[in-house]
Amino acid sequence: MHDYDPTGAEHHHSQIHSHVPGEPALRVKALESLLVEKGLLDSAAVDAWVEAYRDQIGPKIGAWVVARAWMDAEFKARLLADGTLAIRELGIEDGFQVGHLKVVENTADTHNLVVCTLCSCYPMAILGIQPVWYKKDAYRARAVREPRAVLREFGVDLPDGVAVRVWDSTAELRYLVMPQRPPGTEAWDEARLTSIITRNSMIGTERDLHTTAAGG
Amino acid sequence: MDGIHDMGGRHGYGPVKVTTAEPPFPEEWQGRMFGIVRAIKRPPSWNIDKFRYTREQIPPIEYVTRTYFDQWYMSYAAMLLGSGVVTLQELATGRSAAAGPDLGQPMTAPEVAKARTVAARFDRPYDRAPAFSVGARVRARADAPVTHTRLPGYARGRPGTVIAHHGAHVLPDASAIGREVASPLYAVAFRIGDLFAEQKDSPDMVNLDLWEAHLEPASG
Repeated sequence: MHDYDPTGAEHHHSQIHSHVPGEPALRVKALESLLVEKGLLDSAAVDAWVEAYRDQIGPKIGAWVVARAWMDAEFKARLLADGTLAIRELGIEDGFQVGHLKVVENTADTHNLVVCTLCSCYPMAILGIQPVWYKKDAYRARAVREPRAVLREFGVDLPDGVAVRVWDSTAELRYLVMPQRPPGTEAWDEARLTSIITRNSMIGTERDLHTTAAGG
Repeated sequence: MDGIHDMGGRHGYGPVKVTTAEPPFPEEWQGRMFGIVRAIKRPPSWNIDKFRYTREQIPPIEYVTRTYFDQWYMSYAAMLLGSGVVTLQELATGRSAAAGPDLGQPMTAPEVAKARTVAARFDRPYDRAPAFSVGARVRARADAPVTHTRLPGYARGRPGTVIAHHGAHVLPDASAIGREVASPLYAVAFRIGDLFAEQKDSPDMVNLDLWEAHLEPASG
């Protein structure tokens, strides 16, 4: 083993392309067996990570964070000041991709939209695995160039008085959009508020939350 | 590097395939690949920037046609090969022909709960004053290294305004080639019309997190 230098990695990619089976399921299986044989991997740990991100971690956690901020102005101020510290305060211990969490707030005249044009950076510990469209070319190419057209494809037609702030995740900061609390929800409890906060609203591809989603 | 990965502002990719919810791992192998990456015992010379730089060098046609976790496969396979940990033959067969490096015990299932709490930090001590203050007018550098950078092509040479200073963070451009350098990190707001001429009348802004090494002073 020697220090890894990625310069010239395209050579390794082309070797892999030529010599390793093209079917992803087969080659991932081969990779797992190989790493286990090499003593670099324990399959039971792989199982545990899969279960965590399949069954426990997902947008419901982000929704809960937003609901708490809606209900508690002091928590909201701390969340906007330092998202990483504030979510720990709620007992959210998962830290994957939220070491530098930045929460940005939608207002009557501002709409925030998050993208990662260079890869697919995403606050996984509180939103789970990225949507497929978030990782794909069309969204990454267009969100910074024509955000309003992209938003229309998501069913969001922004009025003229609302300005868009696009956040391109070019560093290790991870962005979470805090959508606006819908009118008429003043008396709602935390669980009911959490139930209407969607994944897309926390990325910024949805704006007005539907109060009927909570089932009345 | 000016690769296929630098997608911001590019034309021709068509409409977004909108979804509101989906399973995290539609196919089982995608979950396995995610879990392998989280659980693997890493050679000490690896870092997130070397991973990104490796992923950026996937041949363009494969970059746009392979799914996300298949790109993780390509990148980790290339990093293992490039570190001398595995051979092509071993990747192809899934059978080990020689002992692996002694890196200590890999993560066990009971250790995953603790590993999940790790929130990796990239801020670093820095003993000089940052060159720009909030409100400063800056211009993103027009040039970029032929190796990895987090300054996207669409912002190069464009004027913007510093809206926040995040302290000094690890500079990915250096880290990707094996040098850890701390550089002040700023949020910089660009008028969308300064990035894309057809948007000249738009009130919209595009905010990027850029390091001091990516910026120079601008007037006006």
